[in-house]
Amino acid sequence: MNSKNLAVIITLTALAVGTNYTLISLPNVKLMDFICFIGGFLFGSLAGALIGVLSWLVYGVLNPYGFVLQVWIATIVSEAIYGVAGGFLRKANINFGGKSLGQIVFLGNIGFLLTLIYDVITNIVYAHVIGQNLLVAMAIGAPYTLLHEVSNALLFGFCFTPLVSSFRVVGVYDIKNIGK
Amino acid sequence: MTSKILGNKWALASLTILCWAIVATFSTGYFYYQYENLVSRTKKTPIHANLGINYGNGTIKWFNNTEAAMGATLLNLTEIVAKVNYTSWPSMGAFVNSIDDVENAHPYYWMWWIWASYGWMEGPIACDKYLVADNETLYWYYEDTSVSPLPTPP
Repeated sequence: MNSKNLAVIITLTALAVGTNYTLISLPNVKLMDFICFIGGFLFGSLAGALIGVLSWLVYGVLNPYGFVLQVWIATIVSEAIYGVAGGFLRKANINFGGKSLGQIVFLGNIGFLLTLIYDVITNIVYAHVIGQNLLVAMAIGAPYTLLHEVSNALLFGFCFTPLVSSFRVVGVYDIKNIGK
Repeated sequence: MTSKILGNKWALASLTILCWAIVATFSTGYFYYQYENLVSRTKKTPIHANLGINYGNGTIKWFNNTEAAMGATLLNLTEIVAKVNYTSWPSMGAFVNSIDDVENAHPYYWMWWIWASYGWMEGPIACDKYLVADNETLYWYYEDTSVSPLPTPP
């Protein structure tokens, strides 16, 4: 990994952590997942995963909602999924340049399902830590889970294409182009 | 594969329906849990209901302000004030055979009614499935079920 890759990863990590603190009053509505996904899409799965892992390494420790080691580890691992998925989507070689309802729906669904995976993993760990039945834990947390999933579905659906298009316009569609 | 999904509107619709199903499942789970929680928390709270029993022979007994515990069914309430014989049918609920030894004899059966703002309303489910509300008025009526529409309590 060269210094250019590191700079991109660290900048996006800072952005993810910064937006998380900015949106602290809105539980489960965060830009971090989307930033990891975009990072993975633009700069590869490894970069995306690292953005997720590094973001949680900072945000999870300095978290006003508290710190639980097992949940922290689960969130670190789960957050990386967004970045990896972003990298895989890039490999699918789809042109995300145009405006299409199909793209919005597809990306919205991708955001929703990735968030579901994240929430299920973290809920399993949370329920195990506090010794609660998993179904009860998921039922109690359902409003927060749904808020997380729906907000991410909207973000992924409506923001991904314009953002990728603008990156393409400024020439930052590939890490090789950065600095040229 | 991703391009195939993106190019196929049915695949996209299926994906959206899947997400919607997940939202519905989570919502159902949440409200079911809240309901169960509320019922368990208020289970011992005393409620009072009025229960009338019309034996079909001119005898009508009223048990006003009968105390029961929150979560009690009409069957529970009836058993507090009268002798009830019933048969439990799986999935359907309890079928009352007799109240105070007055037995069903075709076409006369024990039917139950609820007092609503617009008058008497026929009981919609089995008496052991109906949760009694505080200050509710309910009525057992031994009546001729061959008559249509069913005669309302007097």
